[in-house]
Amino acid sequence: MDFQLSKEHEMARSLFKDFAEKEVKPLAIEVDDTHEFPRETVSKMQKLGFMGIPIPKEYGGQGCDPLTYVMCVEELAKVCGTTSVIVSAHTSLCCDPIMTFGTEEQKQKYLIPLAQGKLLGAFGLTEPGAGTDAQGVQTKAVLSEDGKEWILNGSKCFITNGKEADIYIIIAYTDIVEDKRGRKQKKFSAFIVEKNTPGFTFGTKENKMGIHGSSTYELIFQDMHIPAENLLGARGKGFPIAMHTLDGGRIGIAAQALGLAEGALDRTIAYVKERKQFGRSIAQFQNTQFQLANMATQIEAAKLLVYQAADAKKNKDRYSVEAAKAKLFAAETAMEVTTKCVQLFGGYGYIKEYEVERMMRDAKITEIYEGTSEVQRMVISGDLLK
Amino acid sequence: MALEDYKGVFIFAQQVDNKISPIALELLGKANDLAKDLDDKTVTAVLIGSGVKDLADELAAYGADRVIVVDDPELKDYRTEPYAHALASVVNEFKPEILLVGATAIGRDLGPRVSARVHTGLTADCTQLEIGDFPLIAVPGQEQKHKQLLMTRPAFGGNTIATIACPDYRPQMATVRPGVMQKLTPDNSRKAEVVEFNPGFVPDNCYTEILKIVKEVSSVADIQAAKILVSGGRGVGSPENFKLLDDLAEVLHGTVSCSRAVVDSGWKPKDLQVGQTGKTVRPHVYFAIGISGAIQHVAGMEESDIIIAINKDENAPIFDVADYGIVGDLNKVVPLLTEKLKAAIAAKAGA
Repeated sequence: MDFQLSKEHEMARSLFKDFAEKEVKPLAIEVDDTHEFPRETVSKMQKLGFMGIPIPKEYGGQGCDPLTYVMCVEELAKVCGTTSVIVSAHTSLCCDPIMTFGTEEQKQKYLIPLAQGKLLGAFGLTEPGAGTDAQGVQTKAVLSEDGKEWILNGSKCFITNGKEADIYIIIAYTDIVEDKRGRKQKKFSAFIVEKNTPGFTFGTKENKMGIHGSSTYELIFQDMHIPAENLLGARGKGFPIAMHTLDGGRIGIAAQALGLAEGALDRTIAYVKERKQFGRSIAQFQNTQFQLANMATQIEAAKLLVYQAADAKKNKDRYSVEAAKAKLFAAETAMEVTTKCVQLFGGYGYIKEYEVERMMRDAKITEIYEGTSEVQRMVISGDLLK
Repeated sequence: MALEDYKGVFIFAQQVDNKISPIALELLGKANDLAKDLDDKTVTAVLIGSGVKDLADELAAYGADRVIVVDDPELKDYRTEPYAHALASVVNEFKPEILLVGATAIGRDLGPRVSARVHTGLTADCTQLEIGDFPLIAVPGQEQKHKQLLMTRPAFGGNTIATIACPDYRPQMATVRPGVMQKLTPDNSRKAEVVEFNPGFVPDNCYTEILKIVKEVSSVADIQAAKILVSGGRGVGSPENFKLLDDLAEVLHGTVSCSRAVVDSGWKPKDLQVGQTGKTVRPHVYFAIGISGAIQHVAGMEESDIIIAINKDENAPIFDVADYGIVGDLNKVVPLLTEKLKAAIAAKAGA
């Protein structure tokens, strides 16, 4: 047991913090207002190597451990929820599955430019009829007669980094098998899809409650031909690949939720010291003190769960339960803390330029995407009762 | 006045602007059908208006044995009071056993007033009419009457079906939903006896004064009021390709609607969107063309009476809710369907 971060971790954190304060924070309100993807900030992060933190150096990354990556997402989320999820979706949902399941050729061709920050990545699993029930995927992939190409038809919705990303991991069903009882079951496969493939278009851009700058799009595939070698992992193994990918992604989202809660609390502590009512600062009222104490304690508990999940990803083959616990608790903490922070700000908390209202809007999504809180509870209880 | 003094099937032959409304011809078709099971087999059309006598031939061609014409300047445009007076007077004079009125805006206004004046029962908005016994199953100690008009109509928003009889009063009156009954094939050699009848009109203060009649021309169709919707999704491919749907809708007198994907692509206005974030529709017939059938769309149309899906993907979820489905390329299927429907409708109209 060692609760001290190493020197390397501390140095990495101060680097992320510095970048977040100087480059991200000044733009956060504008990004939220305009709903514009923060292209320039992303370019800067790509140059600084933020887009491949946990990927080994030989594949274009920084060769750091998952904890370093988690701290990057956390520090970004302290000032801007949008920026943090761009990094998280790219790293956890696109780089990680290619690193884990890709062939050497696929890593050379796709992972290296992704990790170097030359390309941006995204992940497409959800469909209108397949959210929590991911087995409901309708997108279909058929192997051409000569075996050289896969032809995809279907659509995906709510895809983070959609339209902005160059490379997409897409889950589609490739086979229907009958089990012993004669029930039909779909077998899924994962594919690496390039943005400019003919037959691949973008539909609706979603207008969201929060994370306004995150580009959330519908993807449409109409007779989209992709080379056979772009199958990621084995045919029919798409579902476990997607689930394993989401386990990692959940740690990223947990880090985002943690950062949002910390960012809101930091601002609130500064505010309650300054704000005076009844002749003294509102920090001198016991209600304020106890609320702050509760929030700080919850955040600390969330932080330990998130860091423990990052450690599990480093040291264990399976870390589903650790990731689920971290995401569940951190997301619910973020929602509760940001809501209370808006309250402590009073009327000013409801005004955009004080920023805590944005954090409250951003926090809600952390309870929903990459598996709702209910899904996390299913994962955790499933493990308890196996 | 004994019930058996009432004889024959009468229909109110609605005309607007001296043109016979289609419902009148549908009622004639049904009246001929009902008359087969009655002792008196004459079918009479009651034609009310001003300068409408020439329309009697058309009614004859579609199955009227007799046309009673009430012709008076007071009857130029529909007004409740003079029309109700005219039709009630015809009933009192000619004593029909059955009187059918179309459940149009005019018929729904006229029917109840006439039934109250002649003191009889009226069933509104019927979808099925037949001659049969009342009660349906004989009840001991109660007389079972034969050759009664059994009037069936949906009630409680279509959630229950009621069959209603009017055994003790005459005429047995019903307003009938347009588009349900079948016209006969017109036969121009048929002739009808034309009887002119004028009960006399004394304008009183209940006579409505018509200031202006406005014909509505709507720019954007009201998809919630449409009886037939031809709805297109992303599969239609382009805004130009919606012409296929326009053609089909035109043949069926339907309205074109669409899915969210079509609105997002900028092909159609948001007013035409069906679904969770659009409008909820309940037409009689809903064509889902090139629509995959995600729940977000289905939630807005699953209450339609009949759903017909056309999609090239046999696994599309739309087929789970469709009554009829065609797996195929809409670019081939829709024009064929339009052509066949056109031919069928033309044949039915005898053109």
